Amino acid sequence: MNLREPAHVLHTPDMPLAELQSRMAAALMADDDAGRELPATLFAGALPGAEGLRVHRNTVLGALSHVLRLAYPAVDRLVGEAFFDRMAVAFARAHPPTAPHLSAWGAGFAEYIRDFPGTGALPYLSELARFDGCFDLLARRVADEQFRGIELVVDEAVTLCFVAGLRVHSSPYPVAALRDAILADDAAALGAINCGPGEHHVALWRASAGVMVQALGAVAARYLKAALDGATSELALSSAAAETPGAPGSEAELAAQLQREVLQAKFVQIRTYNEFVRGAGQ
Amino acid sequence: MPQSMISRPIPARAGIGLRLPHQSMVAASRPAAAWLEVHPENYMADESALAELEQLRAHYPLSLHAVGLSLGSTAGINVEHVARLATLVRRLAPGLVSDHLSWSVANDHYLPDLLPLPYTDEALRIVCRNVSRVQEALGRQLLIENPSTYLCYAAPALSEAEFLAEVAARTGCGVLLDINNIYVSARNQRRDPGEVLSGWCQALDRQVVGELHLAGHALVATTSGEELRIDDHGDRVCDEVWSLYEYAIGHFGVLPTLLEWDTRLPEFSVLQDEAWRAQQLLDEFAGAGARAAHA
Repeated sequence: MNLREPAHVLHTPDMPLAELQSRMAAALMADDDAGRELPATLFAGALPGAEGLRVHRNTVLGALSHVLRLAYPAVDRLVGEAFFDRMAVAFARAHPPTAPHLSAWGAGFAEYIRDFPGTGALPYLSELARFDGCFDLLARRVADEQFRGIELVVDEAVTLCFVAGLRVHSSPYPVAALRDAILADDAAALGAINCGPGEHHVALWRASAGVMVQALGAVAARYLKAALDGATSELALSSAAAETPGAPGSEAELAAQLQREVLQAKFVQIRTYNEFVRGAGQ
Repeated sequence: MPQSMISRPIPARAGIGLRLPHQSMVAASRPAAAWLEVHPENYMADESALAELEQLRAHYPLSLHAVGLSLGSTAGINVEHVARLATLVRRLAPGLVSDHLSWSVANDHYLPDLLPLPYTDEALRIVCRNVSRVQEALGRQLLIENPSTYLCYAAPALSEAEFLAEVAARTGCGVLLDINNIYVSARNQRRDPGEVLSGWCQALDRQVVGELHLAGHALVATTSGEELRIDDHGDRVCDEVWSLYEYAIGHFGVLPTLLEWDTRLPEFSVLQDEAWRAQQLLDEFAGAGARAAHA
């Protein structure tokens, strides 16, 4: 596209545009009155400049808060809209986005709210946010009906084919149960959940019906996590057994546990002699 | 080129802004709409939504209305973002691609708003440079939309209409004229919206305008109790904006017209109602034009 020669010679304002944009951006994200001010002489017209800046500040911070609300729905529901906005705005000021596709922004929110003032009564809040975020990421994936993820050779005859995007989520709190109860507005179920620290594992994956969640025992979770990280089946099994206090002592017991929790799961397809013998959901 | 990847032109009819909460329903039941427009940024990190949209584009002409190019930023164009947009343009083959006369990036941060530019020589050079780079990267024309404004810079050299007309003349871009934004900006600056629209009609060549936008807005009060119009796309189009729209299509001709609704999103049928009203006006003016041609 060719640039035509300028038809007009325009006036240049006192403040270069780069400085104007830099100062306005800082003023919009500032959390103190002094930082929000810009020289009144920059503006004219019927509305005071401060009033216009207030509109833009509300738009920017409201949009960023909305993005986080969509990604962390259980946290939003648990703490309420006003408190969520406080956390979201504080996070946005500390970690503003750097790119316009905002659904990829906000990954650090869970860590940011770990010790956020006023959340002491909810020790699991950060972990709940981490699970919300994991769920949100998977929801934006395309369902993998063809088991195109990691392949794990168990022995000469058997290969495990996992769905793409499969992940293991581990937390000291029962975040999957908490999330379900919160989003269902089920106060009774929420009250019945033991939120004392422990060890909780789930597998998550994207199916055509949405994000699927399956509880895993500690050994199965560690085996699967190691396998997804690229370990061989043998190495994954031995490290899972070694890292899990109270894991079954015998290989037969371990194999039985994995058979129940991994080999029969819907996120895996077993291929024997290079042929698929079982599909998802069967 | 596969048939599915051929760009379908946007018809001079009333289309609907498709938002993610409606998308699955639209994909499943395919309600009547002359064409659809989406924000491409919503699909850049959402493969699931993009896959669904790719299926939809076989049934509806599609327009991409970006909000993140930040065409007025002195920092220049975000090359990675333009590449992401180019990828979407290749995958979706939209009939139109547009963004706004505004800026959103400074200090290496992206602010999700359409921030206003001072209409100066420096801003004109920067916008023209950025628009040209985006058009070169995409290999096609952009339409640039006039935003709603809440700030008025001191001593502008040009009016917004003159500025955008000059951008179009220098870069070859088109103009997406948002009638609601003209109304909101004029009322916020205590100006007569009809006079402001008349200024747009004088400043712009008819053939430069490629699309019109309509939307509702909110009426609130400033901290000192004065009237303030917020372009929140959260209501039906108000009567005054419908009147301006009639004036605009009377002047610029029958053009693709989009009904936008973003906040407090109602049932899709409400958007269809609004589009139907716009379509009636388009039909009326098309008929009048045909009668005049035959007279």
